[in-house]
Amino acid sequence: MQTNFTPAQLRDPKTAEANAILRSCVHCGFCTATCPTYQVLGDELDSPRGRIYLIKDMLENERIPDDKTVTHLDRCLGCLACMTTCPSGVHYGHLIDQARGYIEKNYERPPMDRFLRWVLSRILPYPGRFRLALLAARIGKPFKGLMPDKRLRAMLEMAPAKLPPVSRNDDPQVFPAKGERRMRVGLSIGCAQRALDTDINDSTIRLLTRLGCEVVIPEGVGCCGALTEHMGKHDEARGTAAKLIRSMASIEGLDAVVINTSGCGTTMKDYGHMFAGHELEAEATRIGGLCRDVTEVVAELGLPKLVKAEPVRVAYHAACSLQHGQKLKAGPKALLKQVGFEVLEPADSHLCCGSAGTYNLMQPEISAELRNRKVETLEVLKPQLIAAGNIGCMMQIGRGTDIPVVHSVQLLDWATGGPQPSAISEQFA
Amino acid sequence: MQMPSPDAKIMAKKAQVVQRLTEVLGARGVIHDPAETRAYECDALTAYRCPPLCVVLPATTEEVSAALRVCHEENVPVVPRGSGTSLAGGALPTADSVILGVSRMNRVLEIDTDDRIIRVQTGRTNLSVTGAVEELGFFYAPDPSSQLACAIAGNIAMNSGGAHCLKYGVTTNNLLGVTMVQMDGTVIEIGGAHMDAGGLDLLGVICGSEGQLGVVTEATLRILPKPEGALPVMMGYDSAEAAGACVADIIKAGVLPVAIEYMDRPCIRACEAFAKAGYPDCEALLIVEVEGSADEISYQLDTILKIARDHDPVEIRAAQDSDEAARIWLGRKSAFGAMGQINDYMCLDGTIPVSALPEVLKRIGELSDQYGLGVANVFHAGDGNMHPLILFDANKEGDLEKCEEMGADILRLCVEVGGCLTGEHGVGVEKRDLMSVQFAREDLEAQMKVKDVFDPKWLLNPAKVFPLDVSEGRRA
Amino acid sequence: MIRPASEAELAEAVRAAHGPISVRGGGTRGPLPAGEALTTSGLTGITLHDPAALTLVARAGTPVEEIEAALAEANQRLAFEPMDHRGLLGTTGTPTIGGVVAANVSGPRRMQVGAARDHLLGLRFVDGEGTIVKNGGRVMKNVTGYDLARLVAGSRGALGVITEVALKVLPGTETCANLVARGLDDAAAVRAMSAALGTPFEVSGAAHDPHAEGGPRTVLRIEGFAPSVAYRCKALAERLAPHGDWEIETDREAVLAEWRGIRDVAPFHGEQGDVWRVSVRPSQAADLVARAGAKRAFYDWGGGLIWLLTAEGDDLRAKLGRYDGHATLLRATPETHAKLHTLQPEPLALQALTRGLRETFDPRGILAA
Repeated sequence: MQTNFTPAQLRDPKTAEANAILRSCVHCGFCTATCPTYQVLGDELDSPRGRIYLIKDMLENERIPDDKTVTHLDRCLGCLACMTTCPSGVHYGHLIDQARGYIEKNYERPPMDRFLRWVLSRILPYPGRFRLALLAARIGKPFKGLMPDKRLRAMLEMAPAKLPPVSRNDDPQVFPAKGERRMRVGLSIGCAQRALDTDINDSTIRLLTRLGCEVVIPEGVGCCGALTEHMGKHDEARGTAAKLIRSMASIEGLDAVVINTSGCGTTMKDYGHMFAGHELEAEATRIGGLCRDVTEVVAELGLPKLVKAEPVRVAYHAACSLQHGQKLKAGPKALLKQVGFEVLEPADSHLCCGSAGTYNLMQPEISAELRNRKVETLEVLKPQLIAAGNIGCMMQIGRGTDIPVVHSVQLLDWATGGPQPSAISEQFA
Repeated sequence: MQMPSPDAKIMAKKAQVVQRLTEVLGARGVIHDPAETRAYECDALTAYRCPPLCVVLPATTEEVSAALRVCHEENVPVVPRGSGTSLAGGALPTADSVILGVSRMNRVLEIDTDDRIIRVQTGRTNLSVTGAVEELGFFYAPDPSSQLACAIAGNIAMNSGGAHCLKYGVTTNNLLGVTMVQMDGTVIEIGGAHMDAGGLDLLGVICGSEGQLGVVTEATLRILPKPEGALPVMMGYDSAEAAGACVADIIKAGVLPVAIEYMDRPCIRACEAFAKAGYPDCEALLIVEVEGSADEISYQLDTILKIARDHDPVEIRAAQDSDEAARIWLGRKSAFGAMGQINDYMCLDGTIPVSALPEVLKRIGELSDQYGLGVANVFHAGDGNMHPLILFDANKEGDLEKCEEMGADILRLCVEVGGCLTGEHGVGVEKRDLMSVQFAREDLEAQMKVKDVFDPKWLLNPAKVFPLDVSEGRRA
Repeated sequence: MIRPASEAELAEAVRAAHGPISVRGGGTRGPLPAGEALTTSGLTGITLHDPAALTLVARAGTPVEEIEAALAEANQRLAFEPMDHRGLLGTTGTPTIGGVVAANVSGPRRMQVGAARDHLLGLRFVDGEGTIVKNGGRVMKNVTGYDLARLVAGSRGALGVITEVALKVLPGTETCANLVARGLDDAAAVRAMSAALGTPFEVSGAAHDPHAEGGPRTVLRIEGFAPSVAYRCKALAERLAPHGDWEIETDREAVLAEWRGIRDVAPFHGEQGDVWRVSVRPSQAADLVARAGAKRAFYDWGGGLIWLLTAEGDDLRAKLGRYDGHATLLRATPETHAKLHTLQPEPLALQALTRGLRETFDPRGILAA
C-alpha cells in the first residue's frame, strides 16, 4: 500500500517501522473475515483493515487523534487473529501498539476513561492491591446498580464469588526436580492470576518438577508489562518488564522462562522489540528468546502416553495469545490427547472469547457478545470440562457457563499424578 | 484512470442526505464523519481512492430499500459494497456517492439438503456459506481466492469464479434466485429454489452486472454434495511452455480435473514463505486436483501423471494427507496477498484460450523487459484465466502509470489472441477504459440499454464498466 | 420465407422489415408466432472447435446433429444434452444450435451440469433494429461487461435473432449405467432421487415415470470411466437401500436409449392432450402433481422438472396455485396458447422489466415471440 510519510518523519525509527508495516499491507481484506469485532459490528472501521487505515492517516498527518479514531482503535481486542490470516505478513500487533502509545501521548481522554485506565494500570499488575480490590468489589457488588458507568459495573461484575488465599508457592524459592534434573527454568508467576487462581501455578510447579525440571521463582518477579503495553502506556510497561527481565536474568544456568498465562507470553517473547534501542535491549532479547509457554516446555520434556477407558471430554479453547500471538495451536491439544483426554474443538475456534486483557472491563458490550458466541460454540460440544491456557479466557468463559473451566496445565498435572482440579466438582475415576 | 468530478449540488446537500438516511437507518447505520469515511475510500485495488459522501450499513432488505429510495429521490449515486475485496475497484466511491455496504446482512435464512439449496443474506462471506452446510456433507462450489472474506453480494455482482470452476462453473451457474432492491426502492424476487427462468433470464444478466442494476440482498444458491475425497498433485516444470503444453494435453485426453492451477517462480516463493506447503522451487508449477473415492482418484491420476511425465517434469508430488492438501491450497489462494510481502502489484485477470498459453506467457515476459517491471504469474490454467501480477513501487513517482500502461498492453494481448479483459474479477474501474478494445460501440450500447431499463437515472455505481465517454449523457 | 445467407444479410432483413417477423431455426419447436417467417437455416457451419480449450463456435443455423457428430470425433459432447422436440410436438425439420440456445433447451443432465445457458460462452445476435451485437466470447471464463448472452439465451427471439453461438463442450464418457427401482410412489421416488443427488456419486440423471410399463419406474444414471461407474453404482445402491430395491442395468445401448427417451419425453409421444413443462422445487413436486389432476405425469431432474399431460384447454396454472417454480405450455392448440399464455405470467415488477427490455431491444415491436 502506498504511504505518504516525509523523509524527515521516516528518520524516526518508530515511524520507519510503521511505514514498513503499512507498506506490506495490500488491503486485500482477508483480515476482516477473522476479526471478532468486525463479525459483531460489520463496519470496516472495526476491522483490522479499517484500523490500519485510521492509524496510517493519524501517523502520516501527525494528527491529534479524534474521538472516532480512538473509539475504533479502542475496540480492537488485540487478539491478532488478523496476523494469522494475513498472507502479506503485516505486523498488525506492533502497529496497533504503536498507535495506542501515540493516542496515550496525544489524546486527552474523558475524565471517567482516564480514571478507569489509571485504576486498571495501578491495580491489576499488583497482586496485593488487586486482591484488596476484589475483596472490596465483592462488598460493592450488590450496589452495582448505583454505578454511573457500565464499565464500573463490569468491574464489579468481574469479582469472583470466592478468592483463594495467597499461595506460599508464589514466594521466591527453588523447587527441585523430581529425579534427575533435566532443565532449570524460571517461572513467571504472573500478577492478576496470582490473586484469582493460585492452583495454576501450583499445578505448573508440580508438573514441571515431576518431569525433571528445577523451577525457580526468582526474587522480584512480577508483572510482565503486557497489560500496560496494550493500554499504550509504554513507559510503565517497560518499567515493570525491565524488573522482570532483571529478575529472570539473575537466575544462573537458566534454560527457559516458563509462562502459563499466554497473554503475558506473547509480550515476553517479544521483549527484544519492546526494548529496541534501549540500554536493556540485549538482555531483553536474550530473556525474550528463552521464553516458552508451559505447554512448549512440557512437550519438550515429554509426557507419558496414557489411555483412558472412558476419556473425559474436554473442549479446548485456544487462547488468542497462544494461537495467534505465539502460533501455538496444535501443541496444547496434542498434549491433552496424549494423556488420555478426548479433545473437542469448537466451531470458529479462531475467534476471541472477548476477554483480551482489560477489554472485558473497558468494552463490556462487545466483550459480552463475544463471550456468548464462544460459550455457545463450546457448550454445543457437550463437554465435561473446558480447558484454556490463559487465566483471562478462563474467567471470561467461566462467567458464561456452568461447565468447569480449567487451565490445560491443571489437566496435564491431574492426568500424570496430581490432584483433581478443585474447580471440578464432579468426581472422575 | 479518471473518475467523473463530483456533483457540487450533491456535495452541498450532504447534511440533508445524511439526515434523511439517518432517519431511516438510525445513527448506527450511517457513517459520515470524514475521519471515518476515509476507510471506505477504496477496496482491494488501492491505486485509486476517494472517500465517499457517506456510508450506510443497512441490516435488512427493508432498510436497503429505504436507503435507496432516499438516494433516488435526492439523485445521489450509490456504490454497493460487499466486503470490499474487489481487485477491479468495483466498490470505489466518488466524493458525491453513498457507499451502501451489506456487511451487516450475513444471516443464513434457509438450508435444504433435499432440494440442495441454501438461502443467505448477501453480506455473508463465500467460505461461510460452505461453513454452514459442511457438517451436512455439502459445499458451495465457486471459490474465489478471497473466499474467506469476500461477500456473496460481491460474488454475484462480479460473477466470481475460482480455482474449482473448471468443473463446477462460476457464480452464475450456481445462483438460483435473488431478492434484489432496485434503485427506486422496489424489492423484487427473481428465481428461487427451482431451476431456470420462466420468462427472460433476468438472473443471468443481474449476475455480473457489477452492482449497476440493483442491490442483491438475498440469494438462493445451489449446494453440492462434498466429494468423497480430493487430492492435489504438484507438478513442477522448468519452462512455462512445458507446463502449458501439459495442461492442453490433459484436457484433450478427456480427464477433466476439478482444478488446474499455475504459478511461476516468484509466486511459488512468496506463497511458500506464507503457507509452508512444500512447493518445488521451479519455473512453472501446476497444481492439479482430482476428486472421488481413493480408487477413482488413483485411476484418474494414472492418466494425468502419464501425460505429465511426457513433458519432462522437474518434480511430481501428491499431497500426503489432508493437512498438506490444505496447505497447498492455502498457499495458492493467498498468492495475491503473499506477493504483497515482496512488492506493490497490480493484478490482471484476462482470459485466453488455453491453447494460447505458451505464446501469451512469452509475450508477457517481453513486455516485462520492455517496461522494466517484474511480473509474477499465477492463474487458473485449466480455463485460461490468467492473473499476471505486475510488480511496481507505489511510493515511486510514475511507477503506477507505467504499470497501468503495461497492464493495458497485456489485456490487449489477451483480446488479440481470442480472449477477454476479465475472467472473474470484473471490469470495475480498472479495465473500464479498455472496454472499447474488446467491444464495438454497438456492443456497449446494447449493454447500457439494460442499465437504462433497470436504473433509468443511472445512479447505481454509474462510473464503472463503461468508458466515461461512452456512458456520457446517460450518467446524471 | 426470408432465408439470409449471412449475418449481414440477416441484419439487413430485420432493418428492412415493416411488420412482425417470425424467427425460427429448424422449426421443430412450434408453435411459431405469426409474422413473416425468417429462418436462420442459411447461417450454418462450425467456425471453430478447439478441443484443448473445450470450445466450439457455430453459426446459429447449424444442425445440432452436425455439432454432436463433430464433437464425438474428439470424444466430446454438449453436456446439457438438448432435447429433440420433434417426437413430442409432432414437428418435422432439423433442430439447430441457435434454436437450442434461444429456447435454453436442456436435457436430463441439466440438474448436474447446468442448462444450455450455462454452457454458453458467448453469442452474436441482431436486435430488433437490425444492429449486430456481440457479447461474451469464446473463452471459459468471461465477466467482461454485462452478460447479455444469458439474457438472450432462453428469450425465444424476443430480444434479437441469434446468429452465432460459442459453447463450452465437455469430454464424452466411457461408460454409463442405470440404477432402477420399481413401484415407488411419486413422493417416495422424489425422496429417493433427492437422496441420490445428495450423495457424492455424481448422479447425472434422475427421472421417475409413474406410468411406466410394469409399474412406476425410478431411474438414476451414472456415467464415467468403467471402474468408477461400477464403484458408484454399488455404493449408491447401498446408500439408497432405505428407499427401495435398486437394480443395476449396464447394457450401454439400452441405457442410452432410455435417456434419449427421457430427454424427449417419449412416454407422451402420440398421446392426446396439452403438454406442460413445470419447473419446480423438487420437494414440492409430488404435491404439485397430485394437485394437477393431469392425465399423465413424468418427472425429470430429480423432481425439479415435471412433464404433465392434461386435457386440452385445461388451465393447469389455476389448479397448481402457488409454488416455487413456473409452468410453460409446450404443446396445445394456438387458441389454448393464446388463452392460457405459453409462459407463466410474471409478477408486475418483473413484467415491467421484461417489457422495458423488449422495448429497448426491439423498439418497433417486430420480433414476435
